[in-house]
Amino acid sequence: MIILEDIHKVYLRKNVETTALKGVSLQVDKGDIFGVIGYSGAGKSTLVRLVNYLERPTSGKVIVDGQLLADRSAHELRQIKKDIGMIFQHFNLLESKTIYQNVAMPLILSKKGKKETKERVTELLAFVGLSDKANSYPNELSGGQKQRVGIARALASKPKILLCDEATSALDPQTTQSILDLLKKVNNEYGITIMLITHEMSVIQKVCNKVAVMEEGEIIEQGSVLDVFGHPKHATSKNFVQTVVRTEIPENIKRKLAVREVTTLTKLEMVGDHATEPVLQSLINKFHLDVSVVFTNMTEIQDTTLAIWYLQIEGKESDKRAAWQFLEEQNVRYEEVTV
Amino acid sequence: MFDTNITLNQFVEAIGESFYMVGMSLLIGTIFGAIFGILIVVTRPGGIIPFPIVYMILNPIINTIRSVPFIILIVALIPFTRSIVGTSIGNNAAIVPLIIFITPFIARLVENSLLEVGPGIIEAAESMGATPFQVIWHFILPEAFASLILSLTTATISLIGASAMAGVVGAGGVGNIAIVYGYQRFDSFAMFSTVVILIIIVQVIQSTGNKLARMIRRN
Ligand SMILES: Nc1ncnc2c1ncn2[C@@H]1O[C@H](COP(=O)(O)OP(=O)(O)OP(=O)(O)O)[C@@H](O)[C@H]1O
Ligand SMILES: [Mg+2]
Repeated sequence: MIILEDIHKVYLRKNVETTALKGVSLQVDKGDIFGVIGYSGAGKSTLVRLVNYLERPTSGKVIVDGQLLADRSAHELRQIKKDIGMIFQHFNLLESKTIYQNVAMPLILSKKGKKETKERVTELLAFVGLSDKANSYPNELSGGQKQRVGIARALASKPKILLCDEATSALDPQTTQSILDLLKKVNNEYGITIMLITHEMSVIQKVCNKVAVMEEGEIIEQGSVLDVFGHPKHATSKNFVQTVVRTEIPENIKRKLAVREVTTLTKLEMVGDHATEPVLQSLINKFHLDVSVVFTNMTEIQDTTLAIWYLQIEGKESDKRAAWQFLEEQNVRYEEVTV
Repeated sequence: MFDTNITLNQFVEAIGESFYMVGMSLLIGTIFGAIFGILIVVTRPGGIIPFPIVYMILNPIINTIRSVPFIILIVALIPFTRSIVGTSIGNNAAIVPLIIFITPFIARLVENSLLEVGPGIIEAAESMGATPFQVIWHFILPEAFASLILSLTTATISLIGASAMAGVVGAGGVGNIAIVYGYQRFDSFAMFSTVVILIIIVQVIQSTGNKLARMIRRN
């Protein structure tokens, strides 16, 4: 659906060059909700603006729905943009126009008839739950309502892709949740592929199925959300994951372990059904091991569960080896960690 | 009651002439000023249709004309005025320098108003696949409308001030009454009335402009 191939982007302003992207490649498949996370200045906005060619790459390929954008004329690009909706952190609604007129704007630009426009706008306002606000103006709406209008407007031309640049960053947690629910609904009911930019890992956790972590113009890690949350490899990804999932042992527990002179623990990571299977029971009953739980954390990600256990395991070496074998068969990741 | 040589009729006629001069030059000046103002916004580097040459030519021309005081502009333009309206005196002859005076002023005001429209609005427009014309027509102009009304109010008041100097080329208007009767014939009633009339007109125009702008902004 969206393919970026070895993209470099250099901004030139007043003879100062800023390299925003250094060889970024990624692929977003149809139906994905693809999250891009990174700190300020990482190049996230630049990346998402390439997809609808608001920004042109200095080098590299942008392919959307099988079309290489560099080959397209200005006129063709405008048509392609109508297939790509976009919503913004600050909503960017026309203050001088009513909610109805704002949502109708893409249809007006495409010179659609009055009747068709009316039907479509009415349907969209109902979809985002703002039917009663058709004749209000943006300054009469709350932030969350404005973003709903933004979403309705972005959907007006029946796009296949929706780009969201920090769409919830100006909203409080509750409103954020309702907008994220709406985005999920957009993805489910209309089958629209979503690419969203954020600096909050909780946003990724709640809606995305894939994630790319960006730092200084590069994608340092990408994959399925479960994988990246389960075992982030890069330090920055770990920091992001830590903001929503406790994968490390808290300091006070570490202190207690030190007192008891415990140095090695076994860390188990279980995803989905495994997380709720009685793995511990088996370790104790089947392999006669002495298992005590030092620390555990369970997190809901994308309707499945990610569980992390830190265990102190005592027992015969042969029993332990048999237990490791069992864990491998069960697809449970385990590792010895020193504290 | 007052020691004056001026009749009410003369006043009414002068006000009519002022309105004629201001109205005509405002109309034509607004058309050209808006065109130049829009051009200078869209062709600037980073604008929606970057065209550096147009920008680099228009910008200094606007600055140059704006730096010439109106009284000098009137005199300097006499040959030009004659070639256009066939005479260098009278109301119509005053309109030519008034237009030349007000057009760059309006262009600047329009430029400022249009630049107030945030880059976010233009980004949204472009993300919808709007053509450059659509960006201007459906996004920038409606968003800048209230501000444009205030700009035109300012321009109108400026024109009223300038038109009072039109007496130099034998045009009429309230300014002319102030000079011919008030200054040259020491008729302080004429002078005083002119000032009062100008104050009232300016007040009415300013508050009308403010009210309109507020109505458009709905608050
Ligand atoms: N139009 C531009 N001209 C020059 N430099 C730019 C431009 N846009 C972005 N940059 C630079 O490119 C780099 C990446 O910017 P970008 O906006 O993509 O980051 P971001 O990850 O979206 O950050 P934020 O979270 O703050 O929005 C920054 O160093 C920024 O200063
Ligand atoms: Mg950004």
